Amino acid sequence: MSELLKLEQVARAMEGIGTPEAVKANRIRVPTTPAKVKEAVRRALTDLACDHVVQIAAVDNGKAFELIYHLTGPHRTVVAIAIELPRDKPEVATASDLLPPAGIYERQIHDLLGIVFVGHPDLKRIILNEDWPANEFPMRKDWKPNPNTFYGGVRKEAT
Amino acid sequence: MAEVVVPIGPHHPALKEPVNFKVVADGETIVRLELDVSYNHRGIEKAAEQRDFVRVVPLLERVCGICSHSHTTVFVKGIEEAMKLQLPPRAQYIRTIVAELERMHSHFLWLGVAAHEIGFNTLFMWTWRDREAVQDMLEEMTGNRVNYGINEVGGVRRDLTTDQIQAALKRLPHLEDRIAKYVDMVNHEQTMMIRFRGVGKLSRVDALKLGAVGPTARASGVDYDIRKDDPYIAYADVPWKVVTDTHGDVYGRTLVRIGELQESLQIVRHCLENLPAGPIKVTSPRAAPKGEVLSRYEAPRGELVHFIRTNNTDKVERLDIRTPTLANWTSVAVSLVHQNLADIPVVVAAIDPCLSCTSRITIVNERGRKTGELTWDELSAHGRAFYRNGRRA
Amino acid sequence: MDAILLAVYILLFPGFLFLLAYAFFFQFLDRKISARMQNRVGPPFLQPFADFVKMLGKEVIDVKGMDRKAFDAAPILALAAVMTAFLYVPIVGNSPLAFQGDLILVLYLLTLPTIVLFLLGWLSRNVFATIGGVRAVTQMFIYEVPFFLALLTPALMAGSWSITDIVAWQQSHLWLAVLQPIGFVVALIGLQAKLERTPFDIPEAETEIVAGPWTELTGRRLALMHLTLDVSMVVGSALVAALFLGGPLVPWTITPDWLSWIVGFALFFVKTLGVLLVLASIKVATGRIRIDQLNDVGWKYLATAAIVQVMIVLLMNYWWVSA
Repeated sequence: MSELLKLEQVARAMEGIGTPEAVKANRIRVPTTPAKVKEAVRRALTDLACDHVVQIAAVDNGKAFELIYHLTGPHRTVVAIAIELPRDKPEVATASDLLPPAGIYERQIHDLLGIVFVGHPDLKRIILNEDWPANEFPMRKDWKPNPNTFYGGVRKEAT
Repeated sequence: MAEVVVPIGPHHPALKEPVNFKVVADGETIVRLELDVSYNHRGIEKAAEQRDFVRVVPLLERVCGICSHSHTTVFVKGIEEAMKLQLPPRAQYIRTIVAELERMHSHFLWLGVAAHEIGFNTLFMWTWRDREAVQDMLEEMTGNRVNYGINEVGGVRRDLTTDQIQAALKRLPHLEDRIAKYVDMVNHEQTMMIRFRGVGKLSRVDALKLGAVGPTARASGVDYDIRKDDPYIAYADVPWKVVTDTHGDVYGRTLVRIGELQESLQIVRHCLENLPAGPIKVTSPRAAPKGEVLSRYEAPRGELVHFIRTNNTDKVERLDIRTPTLANWTSVAVSLVHQNLADIPVVVAAIDPCLSCTSRITIVNERGRKTGELTWDELSAHGRAFYRNGRRA
Repeated sequence: MDAILLAVYILLFPGFLFLLAYAFFFQFLDRKISARMQNRVGPPFLQPFADFVKMLGKEVIDVKGMDRKAFDAAPILALAAVMTAFLYVPIVGNSPLAFQGDLILVLYLLTLPTIVLFLLGWLSRNVFATIGGVRAVTQMFIYEVPFFLALLTPALMAGSWSITDIVAWQQSHLWLAVLQPIGFVVALIGLQAKLERTPFDIPEAETEIVAGPWTELTGRRLALMHLTLDVSMVVGSALVAALFLGGPLVPWTITPDWLSWIVGFALFFVKTLGVLLVLASIKVATGRIRIDQLNDVGWKYLATAAIVQVMIVLLMNYWWVSA
């Protein structure tokens, strides 16, 4: 097991992308913008020796959408790259070419929050059922199920 | 034979839970796999946002039957981290004992299932018989064989009496013998060896690149184990080793899981014998201060992550769950191409899929109507029934 | 033989009625032995019979667009084939229907169930069933050659193509299991493959292709096909017992005729149960192998062993004749 990453190492690697802060001894958070997030991930993979993506957390904080890419490596420190996306146009470049498991994670986030990952090879349904209506994103804070919409499953007439 | 699409699922005897794998096959060789995991969708993350912490714990327990303790532990330890609570050591030890017993019963179950997938029913019957000893221990300690209900924010709900500890310790030597026999079997039994060796091979580079976790990754030489990397509950106090292997195929994963069985048994024995005295919980405040926590746990299937955001209330603002099975799916899809149809059950079973964990997301059932739940699946019926009960609570 | 006695022989004992009862008994013993070896309890004595009766009464579901007449006829054809095969195997003394070449007839009739399974797989209009049917026939091509060779070497040694004669030959010489041990082992393994039991239950691999060619069989069709499998197990065991273990004849003569018949019958019982015990043990102790691995095992080891056995028998014959 190698040493935990130090704040200065991360700051150096993320030069021009964002200022890291050490939230915990083994978690360092780097806030940045959607335009620079792919570069941040690339630097984490190459300069900070991260080789494992832990999670891509997606949050609706009421005002905007947040995406936090958690990466880790042999140094056992979690590098958390955080961005904010505007509600009316939540788009960001896909990370699935750099991180293959992101292919599945991004499909799930798209299903639930409606964030569009530009450049994703196949952004189709994975977690919601196939007859779920389009453009309804359940994990958004302002989503409420419409009593007149059919959300899939067995129709009343059929029972 | 021309290319044939063989649907594996959603209803298929090989799958314990529904998932739709569309396999495009050329004769017996697999060309491509397509995946759809929506069948066990139950609305748990959204439901968690509307319940206070006390009520979320039983909700999370029902994400999955086999890893129920994993989900509750990772959640309560995240909330405790946000609240900056210090837990008494006895509570940590009890949580560790139940966690390792859960790992043991899950790995025994897996061994049986893998044997059943290759038609070796005798081993299936034997491992599940041994698993009963673990279930008996869990039932004596927590009152239930699955969904133990032992966690709460601030500690554990039940204590262990000396009788229970003695009864549990008495069962361990027999289990040790049986596990040693299974090690022997895996190394010498011919049909197991030809069906497991070389199947579903995942190199170390691929395991890391495709995001594999847990025994699947450790069988390829990746030594990530959250219990050592980011220690929680009592793992830092107990002497144990991470089990890895270099084979990278189903055989390697079998060896890793059996090795973990042995390690878990030692951890349980150590914790039972050295259980510190003291209280089993601390009073926790009702609300959690504003913060963001990434809580990680080594579930029997791999790394389980709960991302929790709290906001000074008694509810979470966001609970984002990433289960080990979702992390392992990509590696399955890649490692099955060019393999035989006959190997699908073994390779899928080798990552120990827990689809209930994987498909838990949002559907809100406002007025008792069926909205988006999957009525052709028994598990979803259970989820719906839970929903109705939960809403009454 | 008298016409009435012949009718009794064919229909009652040791013909069809006895065969059916014995098939159920065999299935019970097989399941009980497997269960005890797996640390389970196993079914009660009448379970196979109860299963059969229950299945006969269940709803028959037809796949849309399938050939119903053919689908109905196929299981009956398979059952008829194996039941007829039984008549030529000596159970109590000699078979009254014996003739030169009945060994070939029996072997031919025993292959019919597999062909019927393939047919059922094809007729089912179901991708799982088709794959299963193809696997059943592929498996047949692999094990049938060694199996046939192993069962023909007794004929070579005894110098006759009639099972009854081969049994009689063993009365004055040693059991053929002793004289041809390789052939005996290959025959047993081939029998396990013919009956599609683990490790050779590829066509029915439940965890991969639902139930293979059995997928769309329901109700009485399933009951009859299942019964066919049980009867094949009895016929196969009886055949192996007759050809290698001396059948129902005692190695010494017993004077009251009826006593020798009873002893012979008891011996037949014991010998077929012995074969069943071996088959059940193999089933419990192994897992399923893949079709390509079976190909390997079948041609590399089984076929070679069978051919070696044939050569040995030819040499031995030459030796004895010249001696």
